Amino acid sequence: MRTLDTEILVIGSGAGGASTAARLAAAGRQVVVVEEGPWVDPDAIEPFSLEEMVAKYRHHGSSAALGNPPIAYAEGRCVGGSTEVNSGLWHRLPPALAEEWRRTYQIEAFTPDVLDGYAELIEADQGVSYVPAAPPTSSALLERGATKLGWRSVEFPRVFRYDAAGRGTKQTMARTLVPKAVAAGSTIMPGCRVLKLVGRGSRITGARCRATRPDGTPEDLLVRAEHVFVCGGAIQSPALLQRSGIRRGIGGGLKLHPTIKIAARFPHPVDHDDVPMHRITEFAPNLTIGGSASRRAHVALALADSGALDPEALADWEHVSVYYAAIRSEGAGRVVAVPGVASPLVTYRLTEADVSRLARGLVHLGEALLAAGATELVPSVIGAPTVRRVEELAPWWDAVTRTQSNLMTVHLTSSIRMGETRDRTGTDSFGRVWGYENLRVNDASLLPDAPGVNPQAAIMTIAARNAEQFLAST
Amino acid sequence: MSEVRGGVDEAAPAPEVVVTGAAGWLGQNLVRALVGRRQRVRCLVHRVEDGPLLQLLGREVEIVVGDVRDPAAVSRLFDGLGAATVFHAASVIHPAGKVRELFDVNVGGTEIVLDRARSSGAGRFLHVSSNSPFGANEAPTDRFTEDSPFNPYLGYGRSKLEAEQLVQRGHDRGDVSAVILRPPWFYGPFQPARQSTFFSAIRKGRFPVIGDGSQQRSMVFTGNLVDALLAAEVAPGAPGQAYWIADARPYELREIVATVRQALEEEGLPVSGRGLRLPALAGTVAAGLDGALQAQGRYVQPLHVLGELKDTIACDIGKARRELGWEPATELLGGMRTSIRWCLDRGMQL
Repeated sequence: MRTLDTEILVIGSGAGGASTAARLAAAGRQVVVVEEGPWVDPDAIEPFSLEEMVAKYRHHGSSAALGNPPIAYAEGRCVGGSTEVNSGLWHRLPPALAEEWRRTYQIEAFTPDVLDGYAELIEADQGVSYVPAAPPTSSALLERGATKLGWRSVEFPRVFRYDAAGRGTKQTMARTLVPKAVAAGSTIMPGCRVLKLVGRGSRITGARCRATRPDGTPEDLLVRAEHVFVCGGAIQSPALLQRSGIRRGIGGGLKLHPTIKIAARFPHPVDHDDVPMHRITEFAPNLTIGGSASRRAHVALALADSGALDPEALADWEHVSVYYAAIRSEGAGRVVAVPGVASPLVTYRLTEADVSRLARGLVHLGEALLAAGATELVPSVIGAPTVRRVEELAPWWDAVTRTQSNLMTVHLTSSIRMGETRDRTGTDSFGRVWGYENLRVNDASLLPDAPGVNPQAAIMTIAARNAEQFLAST
Repeated sequence: MSEVRGGVDEAAPAPEVVVTGAAGWLGQNLVRALVGRRQRVRCLVHRVEDGPLLQLLGREVEIVVGDVRDPAAVSRLFDGLGAATVFHAASVIHPAGKVRELFDVNVGGTEIVLDRARSSGAGRFLHVSSNSPFGANEAPTDRFTEDSPFNPYLGYGRSKLEAEQLVQRGHDRGDVSAVILRPPWFYGPFQPARQSTFFSAIRKGRFPVIGDGSQQRSMVFTGNLVDALLAAEVAPGAPGQAYWIADARPYELREIVATVRQALEEEGLPVSGRGLRLPALAGTVAAGLDGALQAQGRYVQPLHVLGELKDTIACDIGKARRELGWEPATELLGGMRTSIRWCLDRGMQL
């Protein structure tokens, strides 16, 4: 077996891994980043297209947390991870939530001041901005609906840079921090899956990997390292630790933002190139309303989620746009590595309050879309009536049940958790795995709870903070 | 809207009011207190058959039939009103089998009523909450105050807590001017069937007293609660505040049972000499089963009631007395006799 030696091994190249690698490399440390997915030229594939799903998503976009109901989820699996496929919406961790986490999990150095300090640096470095011109129609419609009803709505900034002509480019990890880490001397190895961490006692000595040679053939590889950062996201990180025999505090407590959708038909065409940057925040933090990617395939999928896809409904799909209500959930889930199977078993249990909150979100979302001028609403609930007037919304309350609702999520967090409360966390306040000297986690799994907002900002902020603490202490 | 009275800046009672849950236990009492004193009493009732009897109370009573979860119905409820006072009394305490309804109605309904109160420019928003967001006291002599920490008891407690949080959020961000009232166990006219069962069980010696009966319970006579709502509508410092509302003092459970027996006898009903005592363990087992079933989404009312009977749930009404200028006028024996007479007048068998 080929062997590779490095000071630091970073496993995963998404928001957590790329942030970690770029910081450590800039400080002169020797870093190897292994990424299970391929390198995909960020300019080569159209955002939110079917080709993108095939190239950049795990299982080509379809994974599910099992439960009643199951919740479909999507994860990026490519250099840059989910930052390559998400909407790039940027939302700092709300200070009240950070404070609650700090108290509940006794997280050291986790004050809003500390976090905002890192967030500001990242924002300046990455480029976080508002749309320079008028927002796309799909986004403006959300704002219009909210304004009609007197509801609060906000345009969220995104990790975007704009050229002189106003053309925006999402600042994904493959465009920003991965090249930065490489420029500072890091090695990035796409197509390299870590099978298992190896070590002795409280020290990890390296990782056994299945790499891909330039000619495409597989190769077994041992990467030996003095320090290992696991940054595979809230599903893959706990699965890898469990496969390596590390189970205490790992994999339980998975959180996500369950999301219910509506395909809304308008009397006019709606743009489909971008994802709405407006959100209705009237019912935050427990409920947020926003817009989804609405290419033809997304529209077809959303219409099919109602259980009765009328082929003619797709004829004027340009008039249809997909919107969602996402909730903060009281429920929790679990990630369990299954021996002999590459993908872990993921389960999630919604509470009755969660299901009620989803129904409430659907009714509010329906009202907003009707106020925005939608003429027909098809919810992602099997058997739920199509709605054309506000008077028809109330039956949705009872139509939303565990068996009839098609739910999805793109935000997965909290499957390991950081903090000094050892009975409730898998790592210390800075991501070091309990019981190990040189093994750290630095990704979405560390967030003690679902943030109620897009998590990329929180993940990058926490990853930067933990990387700096590592540099100061090691 | 406010006027100066004796140097105290006090809001005037609004000529227009909205009552949700108007056909309920509290709502029936409240609407009767409002009729004759307001120009318009707009009532939300869930069932069409609840409308006509309320309508008979006066020309100012206007009925809207609809579900508090229905945005269109709640829009009709506020249609054409200006700065109306809102009494939000619609709530589910004992769902028919499914826990989910607690959240749909108590949280979802509150969110929609709050939204329409805001968009219609309503006046004060009086929100009827509960003791349940606070759980039980540790010792029989402990009292909840407005500073006690939240500790919601099962589904109902969690739903009422979330509803309170929505109301507080609405107040804090200026959507409504809200006052939260937290009444415990009601008694009084227009009681539901479960309270009549309570009277019958005591009369027949079948009401279970758990342990030695020294656990204390705050109760509230519906008339006392109506008085508190009307006081909170105008009290100058009330918006943004929450208040415990109950009778003048908590009662030991054995005192409640003895008083109901006395009230039944004084209203001419013979009472069995027997009593039913259950060990404290019975309450604990019932509470455990109730919790396990609720986690599965199921609600069994007798288990829930039995599980709560072991506890002290008592509050201190000092803040309401001081700030609302309100005093509970009716005490237990008189209030229970009124309730029993109400039942007998309607030909109920107790």
